[in-house]
This record gives sequence, structure tokens and C-alpha cells, in this order.
Amino acid sequence: MAKSSTARRLDEPLAGVEQKQPAFGGGEPPAPPVRPNTPVGSNATLAVAMFLGAEAMFFAGLIGAYIVFRVAAPIWPPPFQPRLPIGVTGVNTLILLASAVTMRWSLRAVRANDRKQLIRLLATTAALGGIFLAIQGFEWIRLIRFGLTVSSSVYGGLFYTLIGFHGLHVLGALIWLLTVFALTQQGRFSKERHVGLQTCCMYWTFVVGLWPVLYGLIYLY
Amino acid sequence: MKQRILLGVLSIWTACFHVPSIARACSVCLTGANDPTADAFNWSVLFLMATPYTVVGSIAGWLFYTHRRSAAKHENKEKNETAEGLVHLTWNPKESGR
Repeated sequence: MAKSSTARRLDEPLAGVEQKQPAFGGGEPPAPPVRPNTPVGSNATLAVAMFLGAEAMFFAGLIGAYIVFRVAAPIWPPPFQPRLPIGVTGVNTLILLASAVTMRWSLRAVRANDRKQLIRLLATTAALGGIFLAIQGFEWIRLIRFGLTVSSSVYGGLFYTLIGFHGLHVLGALIWLLTVFALTQQGRFSKERHVGLQTCCMYWTFVVGLWPVLYGLIYLY
Repeated sequence: MKQRILLGVLSIWTACFHVPSIARACSVCLTGANDPTADAFNWSVLFLMATPYTVVGSIAGWLFYTHRRSAAKHENKEKNETAEGLVHLTWNPKESGR
């Protein structure tokens, strides 16, 4: 191993002493160091990011349609329509937000190579997501019994379209998460290789982040 | 430069908030200037116009942030590698005595 030199390093100039820079063919600065041509992120994460952009535009279209009916209506919600369960859905929102936190922690666990913690956190996330869907389903059944259906009014149609599509997305995310959970049990993910988990986390974060927007717009506004 | 920015902001504010109400009517039939339906469509159009910029900007921002983080990690790795035993010689007048 080479001994360290008594001379100063290039990147540690002496204070107050003018350093003479070596000249390169006319005083041009030296070329930057050549880095190996490695991609910044994986192709899968980039693809999922593009897919999430498309999903965002899909929901933007539905929200745009909702805005037209909501702002144009003199009274909202329309009379003789069942009122939405704001309190229960508020608690459900907190459950879904908690699932996003556990999902991000699971990403941290895989980067720390802690497999037990990862499995525990993925199971918790799946459970919280399942509870969210179960409560939503239960509330839907109650609303249908009270008379709010897709064909009962524009209000019903908008509600079930927007919330229904979000619910479908959460169901898809849950199925993806359960697949990732099964792969984790088989030891498929490690600190160096966990793109599948990362992309699942991205999608989960998207569906969770979308929900407060829909809750605020449809239930509260 | 600051004056130009201030002028630009004032112009946009004037354009947005001091237009005559007829400007908020339908661009084709010029009716519905104070109509809630026309208002609703205007808000919806504004929202849908802003969304693509938000989405593309978010993805571009995330890519930029990931690139910066990766470049910083790579630079740290290179610095650690050079600290492990390579010898750099620097000529400076004080040490050489010339």
C-alpha cells in the first residue's frame, strides 16, 4: 500500500497560497473524469412512473367531469339523496394513509437487508389495505340500501364512478402487494435487487395519495 | 431584472382579475357570461389544463432528483476510492522552496 505523501493533495489547497494549475495545451481545464455508463434508475421504475402519469390523467378527466356538475349545481348534494358517511370514511382515510407509511418503511427494511421486518411490514400494509376496501364495501352496501345507486341520479353516478375506480385501483394494488409478499417469502428481494418491491411501493403510494383528493372533493366539498 | 419580473407578475394579475365579465363567456357563442354552468366548465378546463404540466413536471423533477442523488453517490464513491492509497503530488512554490 502506498504511503501517503507529504505533498498536498490536488483537492486540498493551502489557505492563502496561490496554487499553480498544470497547463493542458493552452490552459484548458482538465477533462472531467470518465464515469461508467450506468443508468440512474431501473427501466421498470421509469415505466411505472410513466404509467402513473397516465393514471393521473385518467383520474384528472373524471375529476374534471365532477367539477363541472358540482360547480354548476345550485344545491349540492342534490335534495332527496342519502348523505355520505363522512366520519367513517375519514377514519378509513387514516387507515389508508397508515398503510402508505408501512409501505415506505418496508422499502427502508429491504435496503437495510432486514427480511423479517420487511415481511412484517408488507403483511401490515396488506392488512390495512384490505380493511380499507372492506369498510368501503360495507358503506357502499348501506348507501345502495338507502337509495343511492349509479342510476338514481347524476350524484350517484359520479360518486360510484370516481370512488369505484379508485377502489378498483386499490384492489389491483393489493393483488400486486400480495404477489410481492409471496416473492419476499421466497427470498427474491435483497438490498441490491428489489425493483419489484420498489415499483409496487410507487403504485401503492399513488393510490393512497389520490384518496385524500377524492375524499376532500366528493365527501367534504 | 427584478423590475421585469414585477412587471410580469402585475400584468398577469391584471389580466386574471380585471377582465370584463364578457371574457368569461363561451368563446364560441359568447353567452353565459355569468352563468354557473359556464363558470363550472371554465374551472374544469383550468384544472385539466394544469394537470399535464403538474404530472410531467413531477416526473421530470423526480428524474432530476434521482440523477443528482446518484451523481452525488458516485462522487462520494470516487473520493473514497482515491483516499485509499493513491498519491497525489502537487507543486506549489512554498513547499518546493522555489
